[in-house]
Amino acid sequence: MSEQPRNETPASVADLQAQFLSSGYLASRGLATATLIGLRLGRPILLEGEVGVGKTEMAKCLAQIGGRQLIRLQCYEGIDTHQALYEWDYARQMLHVRALSESELSDASAVSGLYSPEFLIERPLLSAIRAGSDAVLLIDEIDRADDEFEAFLLELLSDFQITIPEVGTVAASDRPTVVLTSNRTRELHDALKRRCLYHWIGFPSVEEEIEIVRLRVPAAVETLVHKVVAAVQRLRDMDLVKPPGVAETLDWVDALGVLGTTELDAASAADTLGTVIKDRDDLELVGAELDRVVADA
Amino acid sequence: MSSVPQPVSPSVPEGPPASADDAGSGPAEIVARLVGFGHALRHEGLPVGSDDVVTFCTAVAELTPSDIADVYWCGRATLVHRRDHLAVFDEVFRQYFLGHPAPAGREPDATEPVAQGLSGTLNVPDSEPGEQTGDDRPMVLGLQASGVEIQRDKRFAECTPEELAALRRIMARIGLEPPRRRTRRRQPDPSGARLDIRRMAREAMRLSHAAPELRRLSRTQRPRPLVLICDVSGSMADYSRNLLQFAYSMRRAARKIEVFCFGTRLTRITPALDRRNPDDAMKLAAARVLDWDGGTQIGASLDTFVRRWGRKGLSRGATVVVCSDGLDRGDPAVLADAMERLSRLCHRIVWMNPLARDDVETLPNTLAMSVAGPFIDSLQSGHDLDSLESFARKLPQIG
Repeated sequence: MSEQPRNETPASVADLQAQFLSSGYLASRGLATATLIGLRLGRPILLEGEVGVGKTEMAKCLAQIGGRQLIRLQCYEGIDTHQALYEWDYARQMLHVRALSESELSDASAVSGLYSPEFLIERPLLSAIRAGSDAVLLIDEIDRADDEFEAFLLELLSDFQITIPEVGTVAASDRPTVVLTSNRTRELHDALKRRCLYHWIGFPSVEEEIEIVRLRVPAAVETLVHKVVAAVQRLRDMDLVKPPGVAETLDWVDALGVLGTTELDAASAADTLGTVIKDRDDLELVGAELDRVVADA
Repeated sequence: MSSVPQPVSPSVPEGPPASADDAGSGPAEIVARLVGFGHALRHEGLPVGSDDVVTFCTAVAELTPSDIADVYWCGRATLVHRRDHLAVFDEVFRQYFLGHPAPAGREPDATEPVAQGLSGTLNVPDSEPGEQTGDDRPMVLGLQASGVEIQRDKRFAECTPEELAALRRIMARIGLEPPRRRTRRRQPDPSGARLDIRRMAREAMRLSHAAPELRRLSRTQRPRPLVLICDVSGSMADYSRNLLQFAYSMRRAARKIEVFCFGTRLTRITPALDRRNPDDAMKLAAARVLDWDGGTQIGASLDTFVRRWGRKGLSRGATVVVCSDGLDRGDPAVLADAMERLSRLCHRIVWMNPLARDDVETLPNTLAMSVAGPFIDSLQSGHDLDSLESFARKLPQIG
């Protein structure tokens, strides 16, 4: 379980937070602690939370911090090993066979050559195993994949090695950092959860969210940022089908910036509401109370 | 809507005599203290394994915590595996490390584990359930079976042998044919529509002569998820038991099924139905639902379902079965909204109405039914176990 700490592992939680900050990501103390433990112990990190709170972004920034490669596996219903792990390039293999002359074909090495790495199509998981600690493997929206895939993943995450029958076993020299995200559309298996460090990312507080907007949209006018964040926080308190995430806040500030608006009032909010509210029923509900939403605190 | 429990303040609190940050006072003592914390969590019903405790200790050792907040976040990352447990974790942490007294009247519940799937909070109705029972009484239309006046506590007592036999019958029936849907995956099928080029290429290489034989693929099928939403209000009292038994059998037969009950509030009872013994399952399920025999708020309950579960994808591609007589005491507009949303979030809506009896073509004439009518794909009866069986038979065609 315990691996020797890597050289580039940050010394403390505060260090890691500072590094996240420098790459434009505001990590809470809890998230930074979970990440640091994950890095030190070589355990996968499972992030759950509402849509648009920066789960995927965290993995991207983690890769950026260590100067490592981000390998992303987007999960979807029906994903299988061919799309996640590896696949033989049959078409190329056939062309290769056709191109060989009779005499070359009789040579035994010609056949074994067909299963050489050049015919192997690497998919994200194999790439991550090959890259080892040079990679951050992001397994995004694991809850969308089928249960069977989860079971398969469980095996992979415990050993970080796979066996390709024609080639042999490929093992990671040292483990890549693994980040899994889930939107909780279904409950994950306990076995998988137990293997991971768990962190729930909630909606940020007003101060945190202002800080995030400042980091991400440095050009935004200060008063506008305050008003937008206050409005979004009010929207989250309303009984909406789809409460806006941090991503929506950033979009809203961006949209207002594009229009050259420096003041958030009912009119400018109505024009740009589509960037925050993505559901018709919600639009009606918010539209009726727009004055209250954009009111001064 | 989702506020994370406030973390313990990062500043070092005025701790109890033995707080974990007197580092250096002896590693053995600190480890004992940390392991003790794991035990305390387990005592409160959190599934904390020995491996988790080992990870927790390793993590604390790695970080050499400077204050108690480090210990808090270490524990949260390593000992908790689901969001529902965070509140319990926070409480135990406060008691164990910060010496806060346990809130009065709260005792660990041995019969009901904290793990409750998607979301584990039970809604306690703030109004007195049952107050509207008197009103509903005259509307009860007789059951074919005997015992119209079943007592409240008797209703979920043990199953009779006949009922158990019926359960088994239903189970066997449903086990045969759950509703299915096509998936993205394909499997070899001699009469499939699509050519299996990969397989042909593989075989062609092996043979290295002549044209390969044609191999074909077709889509695989998977069981469709099923969501049962059962009315257990006063007017449905006589049917509730049948419905729950039905739900139990369905749950045993097919894994992909979620069961909810509602009267005035919606309660998810799926985890309770996972007991092997039907009596235990019924008892547990009955204990979860707190508004038996109360009034009916179909609209509000369905709205809760759509908001809390539907939009997370629980009902996506699912056949949703609503079992209710449609005697709604809520606002019809809310019901219409909820039904419209639900119809957009699921594959088919089946409404089982005991009042429909064998004449399932005509909608029973209640306001709720006429409001919900346009969104219902199929209306079924389900007034006794036999008709539930026949419904189970029809399910594959409906899906």
